Amino acid sequence: MLLEQFLAPRILIVAGKGGVGKTTVAAALALVAARSGRRVCIAEIDRTGTLPKLFGREALSYDPSELSPGVWGMEVVVEEAMAEYLEVQYHIRRISRVLTGAHFIDYITTAAPGLKDIFVLGKIWYLEQGRPVAGASPKFDTIIVDAQAAGHMLTFLSAPMGLSDTVQVGPVRKQSDWLGDMLRNPARTRVHIVTLLEEMPVAETLETTAALDERLGISSGAVFANAVYSEALPRNDWLEAHDGARLGGAGGLTKPLAGRSALRSEAKAAGINLDDEDFDALFAYARFLEARQKVQRHHLRALRRGTARPVVELPFLFSAGLALPDIDRLADVIQDGIAAL
Amino acid sequence: MNPIAEIVEHKEVVVCAGSGGVGKTTVAASIALRAALEGKRAAVLTIDPARRLASSLGLKELTNKPTKVNRRKFTSAGLAPAGELHAMMLDTKTTFDEVVMQYAPSREQAERIIANRFYRNISSTLSGTQEYMAMEKLYELYVDGRYDLIVIDTPPTRNALDFLDSPRRLTSFLESRMLRWFLIPYMKAGGGMMRIANVAAATFLRFAKRIVGSEVLLDTAEFFANLEGMYDGFKQRAGEVAALLRSDATSFVVVTSPAAESVNEALFFGARLNESGLPFGALVVNRVHPKYGDGVRLKPRRLAKLAQGGEDARGLATLLAVEESFMRVVRLEEANLDALARKIPRHRWVRVPYLEREAVDFPGLVAVAAQIFAEDGSPHPGGG
Repeated sequence: MLLEQFLAPRILIVAGKGGVGKTTVAAALALVAARSGRRVCIAEIDRTGTLPKLFGREALSYDPSELSPGVWGMEVVVEEAMAEYLEVQYHIRRISRVLTGAHFIDYITTAAPGLKDIFVLGKIWYLEQGRPVAGASPKFDTIIVDAQAAGHMLTFLSAPMGLSDTVQVGPVRKQSDWLGDMLRNPARTRVHIVTLLEEMPVAETLETTAALDERLGISSGAVFANAVYSEALPRNDWLEAHDGARLGGAGGLTKPLAGRSALRSEAKAAGINLDDEDFDALFAYARFLEARQKVQRHHLRALRRGTARPVVELPFLFSAGLALPDIDRLADVIQDGIAAL
Repeated sequence: MNPIAEIVEHKEVVVCAGSGGVGKTTVAASIALRAALEGKRAAVLTIDPARRLASSLGLKELTNKPTKVNRRKFTSAGLAPAGELHAMMLDTKTTFDEVVMQYAPSREQAERIIANRFYRNISSTLSGTQEYMAMEKLYELYVDGRYDLIVIDTPPTRNALDFLDSPRRLTSFLESRMLRWFLIPYMKAGGGMMRIANVAAATFLRFAKRIVGSEVLLDTAEFFANLEGMYDGFKQRAGEVAALLRSDATSFVVVTSPAAESVNEALFFGARLNESGLPFGALVVNRVHPKYGDGVRLKPRRLAKLAQGGEDARGLATLLAVEESFMRVVRLEEANLDALARKIPRHRWVRVPYLEREAVDFPGLVAVAAQIFAEDGSPHPGGG
């Protein structure tokens, strides 16, 4: 797929279960878009504070701030989004502290549970439309929404469509159709899902994609399989033939195999000295990797079987600190992954 | 002594807390499983378990009551439990209904509340409800006295702190004077315009009505009117739950992964427990990458040379590259854990290595339990 195609919809929603690396993938997607000269805004919905840290910042605010060249970040604070929504839709100014008090928000969002989502989606819409806001924030070419955990995300996306139990009543319901149009139009919005190749995240991803396809009519978007152990390993029979520890019994290695001696001389020829403990460690890591890769392959097959969406694999970063160079590397992989779709 | 084993021996309630995706549910279930092996009547209260794990514990549906895990699960894993393991999944709505039933002065009033639309929204969507009900259920099981040990998993919150704050937020919402004062007169006036001397109240009502409509406003008013007279009961119960959490019977187990983000969250959470006077018991560092040996350090040029050799040389080069990658993550995790050790001493921890298989079935839980209760950090085979 051409990058142009991938980035054609201006709103990219990144969703997934907690702990799968949504924010990291959202940030990497932002770098991909920024590299092609786009002005990008990442809108963080769950206040986790992870996003600013990736870019070496303390915190984000409701007004977008530039995190790295071409990449801006903001936090969609519900109270602020509500105030903006009320101002635009109802011409209600913030005349009274009553309206910004926690109880008022709790009250009206409990009275009509989808309202919070409408306010937040409203903010995404304003970003898309380039509605001027406080400060000199630019009009953005790409808006990346770092969404909440998958279950909540479905409720969130269905709010304007009146498909869940949420806003079925009240004046807001009538006004939110345009938000549903925005979400369902593949030329404007894509929902990408991030998952780990583990039991629960994969199961949840499949439930989410099915619900998006069938219930919400949002069928575009990719699945990013994150933290894949993509390191190469020698063939299994080679490992069997050279791993002496396998025959060593419970107490570990008792008789070095001929295979290990061959490896030891290869190492020596390259100027490397390896003792038995080194070999034990080398093979132990290989076995560990092999086992984890097997588990991951199993879940990858289940994922591919369960959804028609393209799956992009992202590597486990062995340097997995939370810093820009890692995100940059992920951005490279994403770019290649998109090209290969 | 292993800090978790100590908790299982002396405490009656274990609260597992931590940020999302660190394996809280697995740890909670493993602790209860171990207690059952050692002769306790143990119950684990889970919030949102993986389906396979749930079915592995015999939880096919939400019953909101603990169900005994079949003894055959143990015997087929080669174990002979001296006690019993019970497991349940929390049903927030049903628990809330039970609370209402308990505190309403009459059955009719309880039914009116339960049928109310605003109530249904609160019990399914208002943030904090799930946390509140989890604690409520915990208390109920505790008072019931049928279990020697109750282990509770906590809801997957945005961050671990929410779980401590949310119940208070919910009760403060229900008790909000503002809402009661504004809405009840509103209902009594039949939803029509009335004279309200209070400007704030008038503003509140006017805007709320414009946004959610008058029908919804009436629902709410009815809800709060029906809730009158029940606040004292709620408050008393909340006080009792809080007292249990602070008591000697309870211990908090913080679960974390060795990733920097999760470690920071765990530190923050530990500090917060202290501030709130809640008893921190132990820390479980879950999914630590295994460390084998000290790592072979070699110059890249030597590795490159090896990689150009024959099949064996290339194979060896691959193994060395794999080890190097793992050593990088091992060192990173060690640095994160060193930072953790400066705040929470290591004798209060247990480390659970990243296992080769996933802990999503009964044998998986047995394996995790074996790791958690390994006395010196090295695994005991078999879990018993």
